[in-house]
Amino acid sequence: MDEYVVEMRHITKRFPGIVANDDVSISIRKGEVYALLGENGAGKSTLMSMLFGMYEPDKGEIIVNGKPVVFHSSNDAAACNIGMVHQHFKLVDNYTIAENIVLGMEPVKKKFGFLPWVDMREVNKEIQELSQKYHLEVNPTDKIEDVPVSVRQRVEILKMLYRKAEIMIFDEPTAVLTPQEIEYLLEIIDGLRKDGKTVILITHKIEEIKKIADRCAILLRGKLVDILDVKTASVQEMANMMVGREVDFNPYKSPANFGKTILEVDHLTVKNENNFEVVKDVSFSIREGEIFAIAGVSGNGQTEIADAVAGMMKAASGTITLDGKDVTGASIRERAEAGISYIPEDRQGTGVVMDFTLQDNLALREYHKEPFSKKGILSFDKFRSYADELIEKYDIRSGQGRETIVRSMSGGNQQKAIVGREIEEHTPLIIFVQPTRGLDIGAIEMIHKQILKERDRGAAILLISLELDEIMDLADTIGVIYNGQLLQTAPADTMTSHDVGRYMMGVKDA
Amino acid sequence: MTKVFTDGLSFAMPLLIMAIGAIYSEKSGVTNLAIEGFQGFGAFIGSLIAIILMGTMGQSSQAVLYIAMAFAAVGGGIYACLHALLCIRFKANQVISGVVVNILAVALTSFCTSLANTKINGTMSNKFILGVSTRFTIPVISRIPWVGGLFKNMYPFEIIIIVLVIFFWYLMYKTKFGMRLRACGENPQAVDAAGGDVEKTRWAAVIISGALSGIGGICFAYSLLANFSPSIYMGYGYLAIAAMIFGNWGIGTTAIVCMIFGLAKSGGYQLCIFMGLPSSYSDLFLMLPYVLTMILLIFFSKKNHPPKAAGEAWDKGKR
Repeated sequence: MDEYVVEMRHITKRFPGIVANDDVSISIRKGEVYALLGENGAGKSTLMSMLFGMYEPDKGEIIVNGKPVVFHSSNDAAACNIGMVHQHFKLVDNYTIAENIVLGMEPVKKKFGFLPWVDMREVNKEIQELSQKYHLEVNPTDKIEDVPVSVRQRVEILKMLYRKAEIMIFDEPTAVLTPQEIEYLLEIIDGLRKDGKTVILITHKIEEIKKIADRCAILLRGKLVDILDVKTASVQEMANMMVGREVDFNPYKSPANFGKTILEVDHLTVKNENNFEVVKDVSFSIREGEIFAIAGVSGNGQTEIADAVAGMMKAASGTITLDGKDVTGASIRERAEAGISYIPEDRQGTGVVMDFTLQDNLALREYHKEPFSKKGILSFDKFRSYADELIEKYDIRSGQGRETIVRSMSGGNQQKAIVGREIEEHTPLIIFVQPTRGLDIGAIEMIHKQILKERDRGAAILLISLELDEIMDLADTIGVIYNGQLLQTAPADTMTSHDVGRYMMGVKDA
Repeated sequence: MTKVFTDGLSFAMPLLIMAIGAIYSEKSGVTNLAIEGFQGFGAFIGSLIAIILMGTMGQSSQAVLYIAMAFAAVGGGIYACLHALLCIRFKANQVISGVVVNILAVALTSFCTSLANTKINGTMSNKFILGVSTRFTIPVISRIPWVGGLFKNMYPFEIIIIVLVIFFWYLMYKTKFGMRLRACGENPQAVDAAGGDVEKTRWAAVIISGALSGIGGICFAYSLLANFSPSIYMGYGYLAIAAMIFGNWGIGTTAIVCMIFGLAKSGGYQLCIFMGLPSSYSDLFLMLPYVLTMILLIFFSKKNHPPKAAGEAWDKGKR
């Protein structure tokens, strides 16, 4: 019999309109790294929120160190030595690192024997020692707002260690990190395991689980699918279980069939608000049935090209021609009507209206036209039927169907809604900016298929992505941008990912 | 010239204690335009007690002020519960709540003052006639030219306020309570995750805010103006808020700002007398602190960092 430090038995949790966890049972051994794998909205975070006392389960029991417990708040969980690093860090920006770590557990001393106070100098020393002990180097007196994301995460880990946590929950810890930082974090987690801590890792990235975890529970739509030993399970097996069907890692791409030129960008220059040229003299064209991908390191001007074509930014000079018509000075709506669909980088800021219902968001492109409105009066019957059609077709999952407020939906489903809305226009040109950032495998696969389907229909597609794999998989033509200039434009099959990577670093003759 | 400093300080001190009240509330994350209402209601309770006490203890008793001050603090604190209830418990819009609380205070104190006057001395006036506490001069340092005026003819409340200011500075920056309070105004989620109680902390902060405003109010009523009516506190609450904003939500900086406001007011008044203008012009000069506020805000408002979470109702479920 193994020694279990945490057991969750037959846990069920319902939210309005959705069963977040349905009879889930997991047992975690002391000193192991236990991964929870599942798509966005599969119920991983909910399950762990119950272990951390943020929600109470409707049914089932939680046993910690052999004793049944009922947590009413995260304080109760903390008292059982459970700690959690949330996906969105819970830190006070203008406090120092040390202040953030001790907040809520401040050591109180008496000045002159009676005046209670918090001796920050003492605290700083203590935090310094703690950070050295666990090799999580931080400077206790730095303010949170001045340090990078990876350091903030270290502060969250130190916060748990300061509270003597033995069981540590990490909620999607790598979502905000660069590849190098991810490596470092996994080393830290390995170190914690060696110190005898129990780590629970919530993630949808299988490669991380493969690297660090001992065992892995897979959740699908609130239900436990299986618990696997990571060493013996294959990546393909885990991916299939997580999505609930066969996952196709290499989407089938039919041979290209180019038609006439749809988009012609000629000597385009774009300036940002500081009057700095972020796009310099860029020219390219996209034909019917062609996916033109712009590869580049983030911040080299690729987003601005998309914004300029869609009309969100003004062109300082140069022309943009759509299907033979000059649209350089046209408004956003004029361009949309002329045949541009746009899946923007900032989904929540420009892609949807967060506090509108799903139904209203899906009608954003059409609401002002018949049959969605007649003589300026909206006809909600059409809104409803159209929303149901798209929800079905694009597998948009949410709590209350078309009536769901978009803010309460998961990021992946928000993106599916945007993609669905824009693709449904079947315009000659579709712009995708970072279409799959932060999404899980199932959603990525679905969006890639949609992109290819539109290409085969004969749309011209401008794809902007930071994921080199995505570009290599999908593109017919690749343009590499560096410092606002297109360094190289060539058919995708003439370049290897190694070549593209070198151009991305600014090397001209790869 | 010494009079400018003497009067400036006695005006600045009540303003400062109210501004600190506002700082406590806003630093905990509750936007507080209700300072004026707290001030008025606190001053009303204090004045009422003073009137009753003056009947039994005699017009010139000095103890009256201290007792009245304690009651003003309690009254202000209780009245502040209304703002706390609306903003924290019912998550109402904090700006609207503040304005409502202010309007209610004017109506309520006006009505209650008339009522109390008919009951106590049979008149229908909406004014309490109050006393002035004995002033004192600190020897030696008060002889310094000009600035010595600060220590001349001081009211006892000025000393009390200075002690309170030091105490509340310490509470805000050196204690566990203060640390959590400031965190509540920046990122309440962080406090919640760390095991603090956001609602309780904000309640405490708003009540402190009411109590300090009440103390400020009674200082204006008793001593400075020697009467209480709803018209005496018009505008001072907003001036305290302006001092807080210009002082960038810091207690030390706000103290300096209050001093500038105080000196501008007393200086303007003395200037008016010095220039031999008719008294009708004095109102023009009394506008000085407000004009100064507007000019200063133009220059400084860009650099200001108000507490990030101020004005947002805290919702535990929101991530």
